[in-house]
Amino acid sequence: MMLLEHDAKELFAAVGVPVPRGILAATADVALPASLAAPFMVKAQIPVGGRGKAGGIKQAASVAELRHGLGELLGKTIRGQTVRACRIEQGVEGMECYLSVSLDPTQGRLRVLLSSEGGVDIEAHAQRGALHSAVGAFNEHEAIAAASRLADSIASPARETIVHAAERLIAEFFAFEATLLEVNPLFIRPDGSWTAGDLKLVIDDNALVRQPRLCDLIRRRADDYPEMALKLNHGFDFVVVDPDGEIGLVTTGAGLSMQMIDELEERGHPAFNFCDIRTGQLRGDPTRLINVFQWIAAGRNVHSVLINFFAGITHLGEVAKLLVSALTAVPELRVPVTARLIGNGYDEAIAVFAAAGYPLRVEPDLDRAIELALAPLTGAQR
Amino acid sequence: MTVTIHVPFVAPDVETIVQGMTGRTGRRHAQLMRAYGTRVVGGVSPKSDSDEVDGVPVFKTCIEAVAATGAIASVAMVPPLSVLDAIREAVAAGIKLIVTIAEGMPVRDAVAALEIVRAAGVHWIGPSTPGLAIPGKLKLGFLPDVSLAPGPLGIIAKSGTLSYEVCHRLVGRGLGQSLWVGVGGDPVKGTRFGDILPFMLTDPSTHGIVVIGEIGGSEEEELAAAMSAQNCTKPVYALIAGRTVREGITMGHAGAMIQGDVGTIASKTEALTAAGAQVFTRIRDLVDAVATGVGKAKGEKACS
Repeated sequence: MMLLEHDAKELFAAVGVPVPRGILAATADVALPASLAAPFMVKAQIPVGGRGKAGGIKQAASVAELRHGLGELLGKTIRGQTVRACRIEQGVEGMECYLSVSLDPTQGRLRVLLSSEGGVDIEAHAQRGALHSAVGAFNEHEAIAAASRLADSIASPARETIVHAAERLIAEFFAFEATLLEVNPLFIRPDGSWTAGDLKLVIDDNALVRQPRLCDLIRRRADDYPEMALKLNHGFDFVVVDPDGEIGLVTTGAGLSMQMIDELEERGHPAFNFCDIRTGQLRGDPTRLINVFQWIAAGRNVHSVLINFFAGITHLGEVAKLLVSALTAVPELRVPVTARLIGNGYDEAIAVFAAAGYPLRVEPDLDRAIELALAPLTGAQR
Repeated sequence: MTVTIHVPFVAPDVETIVQGMTGRTGRRHAQLMRAYGTRVVGGVSPKSDSDEVDGVPVFKTCIEAVAATGAIASVAMVPPLSVLDAIREAVAAGIKLIVTIAEGMPVRDAVAALEIVRAAGVHWIGPSTPGLAIPGKLKLGFLPDVSLAPGPLGIIAKSGTLSYEVCHRLVGRGLGQSLWVGVGGDPVKGTRFGDILPFMLTDPSTHGIVVIGEIGGSEEEELAAAMSAQNCTKPVYALIAGRTVREGITMGHAGAMIQGDVGTIASKTEALTAAGAQVFTRIRDLVDAVATGVGKAKGEKACS
């Protein structure tokens, strides 16, 4: 998961990495602390790369320009992401370098990239050979050695400062169990000081269990990391993929859930959510199902709910009992529910639904279940 | 005359131990694997006091288990933060094939595990996988019986559930599997699509290959490169999930995330198509194409 720049900077600043002073602004009339003075940078906080090129970063020479820039960026959609907040920070000067450290998942090795020319056109520098690259074993010692070697090819008095900055940044890359750290620009000054002008940090979701500082951040800033906060709090995956989505999905398995979203989209009916509830972990407790039904019921445009459980091991009779008690517990869910169930205990599941008298349509074939789930929508359109 | 030497990925009668066999999951799956025909010859549980579970001997360490049983395969049913240790122990004991099913193994652990298995020449399937199967003979993990049947298809899949769905439908059309390997949805893993291709290409019982991919990473692109390099003459059918996923959002699988231009559906589709694969967006279309392509070819062979 990619952290927002503001959060990555706050995390790194707390452990002594120099970053420009800054605040997070969700409104254009945000109060400015006395410590911030022109010139400013106004930077859209969205979890995607290529933000500068897409117009997500503005310079402001005065407070008036700052307010104007904020007004322009807040609420704008950049690369498919709505800008909910901007980081306002102090403009910084210095030689603009580039450093990135990343995991190559194919080889399980580390890649270090270094250039004495940073900026939004880093790809162009790469093409004309100004970007130096090294690959090595995935550990801190090797990474620092690689960065140091790369710095040798930079004919600049700034070499020592670059190496010093790289050592600090690489140490934090490993401390936070990141898979990507990109600092662009990395400001290097003649007096030997440096500042991480931008910080792009991708963390390993699987390592959160042993990264208390990252867990704390995600819980504090749950509004900006709703999917991960939900996973930390509930132990499974649920992602609202389209707030105006028409179909609520109660599904197990990440790949099949993604595929169903794709197929619904192709049929012209966007899904509201992605869901990997992990039926094998329910163990007789309907809480996860209740949560999911509640979250789906809150969808403003959900017209139909589609359950899909391909149970390899889990007994469907047990699942059916849990479904009935969960549906009963969420009366606010008033749209038709279709259940595609397959696996052991199908007949018992049917019997459980019949005995409960719950008006649930059950279907063993996925394509037919999708058609059933879409019926209320296609009917409504005619 | 060229002679193709067929080296199987795994022998169907491989002697197998289960690490973590006295746990809830380990015990249940050990029973199911045995019921399927897998030769589970021992279990490992450092904390357990009992020396057998359901008639299978339980040992304190992998070294003892391997010494007593001669097992060369292991299925590790241990929690995500214990997977690295389980792999280290199994490799040190001489295990040659290890399947780790746990979801949520930290990437740094996976990198360390990868170094260990590579240095020792061990096959590691996982993390985060339902495992592998030679239908009708062997199951290492928990692939569902309703989707398994002996047949002509080699299956390689990042996603468990999506592969269950696809194979269930193919079995319904009379097309089972020769070998099914779930590689898992994590970015760093022991075995990647491309690693299994040579086995499926030389295996005389595999007549077509079904790839269940998804957005994120570059594994599908690597497979495409391997197909071209190895002169892949068997038909390859691919389904790639996650067409509609937004950049920067992780969808359940740690590896299913688009970053910039890496991991997009366009890149994967283009690479696989150029290498000669047929790429599909709907399950139904893939199943129809496989039934027509492989099903028809099989029928013709039977007639001739």
